[in-house]
Amino acid sequence: MPLKKFTQQQQSDLAGYCRTNELHEDLQVRRERVHHYRRLVFNVVNDSLQSAFPLTKNLLEDKIWDQLVHQFFSAYKPQSPQVWKMPGEFYEWFSESEQPLRGEFPFIDELLQFEWMEVVLFMMEDIPYPESQKEGNWMDSTIATNPEFRIIQTNYPVHLRKAATIQDADKGDYFILMFREKDTGRIQFMDLSPFFAVVVDNIAHGADLRSVLLALQEQMPQTSLLELQENTIPLLEKLKDKGFITGFKE
Amino acid sequence: MKKQIGIGFRKDFAEDFLSGNSLQPTFIELAPENWMGIGGYWKKILQEVAEKYPITSHGLSLSIGSPEDIDRDFLKQVKNFIKTYNIQIYSEHLSYSKCDNAHLYDLLPIPFREDAVHHISKRIREVQDFLGMKLAIENVSYYTPVAAEMSEIEFINAIVDESDCNLLLDVNNVYVNAFNHQYDAKEFIQKLPLNKVAYIHMAGHEQVEPDLIIDTHGQDIIDPVYELFDFTTQLIQPVPVLLERDFNIPELDHLQAEMDHLEYITDKNWKKLYATEKIHTATTV
Repeated sequence: MPLKKFTQQQQSDLAGYCRTNELHEDLQVRRERVHHYRRLVFNVVNDSLQSAFPLTKNLLEDKIWDQLVHQFFSAYKPQSPQVWKMPGEFYEWFSESEQPLRGEFPFIDELLQFEWMEVVLFMMEDIPYPESQKEGNWMDSTIATNPEFRIIQTNYPVHLRKAATIQDADKGDYFILMFREKDTGRIQFMDLSPFFAVVVDNIAHGADLRSVLLALQEQMPQTSLLELQENTIPLLEKLKDKGFITGFKE
Repeated sequence: MKKQIGIGFRKDFAEDFLSGNSLQPTFIELAPENWMGIGGYWKKILQEVAEKYPITSHGLSLSIGSPEDIDRDFLKQVKNFIKTYNIQIYSEHLSYSKCDNAHLYDLLPIPFREDAVHHISKRIREVQDFLGMKLAIENVSYYTPVAAEMSEIEFINAIVDESDCNLLLDVNNVYVNAFNHQYDAKEFIQKLPLNKVAYIHMAGHEQVEPDLIIDTHGQDIIDPVYELFDFTTQLIQPVPVLLERDFNIPELDHLQAEMDHLEYITDKNWKKLYATEKIHTATTV
């Protein structure tokens, strides 16, 4: 016997009420108690979002935050059975929806992206590290890097400034290197210049430093390869100290 | 079977638990959804705990009571998780947490109706066939019936019978439901298919209204629930017993004291049976 339409409708009405607060008159429940389900469901969703987006939560007034969470849960149907992945769906939903909050906080999408990327990196499945040796030639060896990383570009310094203090005057080109420390699992992030972001992105994808700098030099004919090398290698050494660069492949 | 008193493993106390010895369960329980497909820090913790303790799993998102189809991709991940960590018990809630293609991440009550019995039993058999093991279905706490045409006990019995699944008997949930819906908890337990009980959960709750208790897992187990546990363990064969504590987590030695109390009761009622009974856990279908 398949599930009857009546039973399906009752289930749908209860779930719909929890998501939207619309209590259908045909739903056969104890009216004085059913609100507990909406409260409990909201608490789970809200806790998960607050945990993933503490900076965004702090930026907004409690009332505005609650409205946003309610709006999300009413309008969007979470697809992941794993609740820790649901904030990623919230971020996507927010990015694709009309949000007046952008008027007051033009950086809010980037703040959500930054916070979600931290969760992704913290939780993502392990990626095997490339075999490497400690010593090598910066210019001609293939540099081995931590494979658990992301570089994101933003227009506002969401990684450098307290969100509430960010202003229009801060608008610019920001690049953030985020990676997971091998031993502790903690997420490190570093502000990169546009130039250095290109360098890091290329070497992390297997290019050798010489070819990367030569390509960049074509865009900066007034700068010699030696100058670029002298500016770049100290920064790479810093990345090695921090554990993003793990050694040399040959 | 051997004495088995376990604890629901929570990230909130993972570090203290693994670095100390104030909490000494014989097994731990995980929600697969929180530990599948992850890496980094929590994967290391998972591996560490898996090396030290046998694991049971208690699912949150299978949504066995959903009107829609079983999520096969999700079930495949669960199967891999069960295999990887040599899990002997996979339990889920007799409720639904997904409807109209939206996850709600909490447990909603299923209408106690005949068509729901057949629908859910079919889904349980599908899951059992896919996993190659029996599912232990938990009696959930609920705060309102939904369009019920039969009683809770009739509903549970019909599903266990028709699906041939095992029962995860949550004693606290029986207490909560008996209070909320005004029935006799001991009578309810006596009417359950007790030969199908493969696992017991114990937890605390919170009374939020004069006539309503919410199953929070955020308080200590109260004496009447220990008493109901004592009553229950006199009626069934030894099975693993788990302490659940999800919120308001106290010092670990406090949780150990609760586990000691559970052990005292199981020793009293099961000691003579430990050596003679076969392990009553997951059975190959």
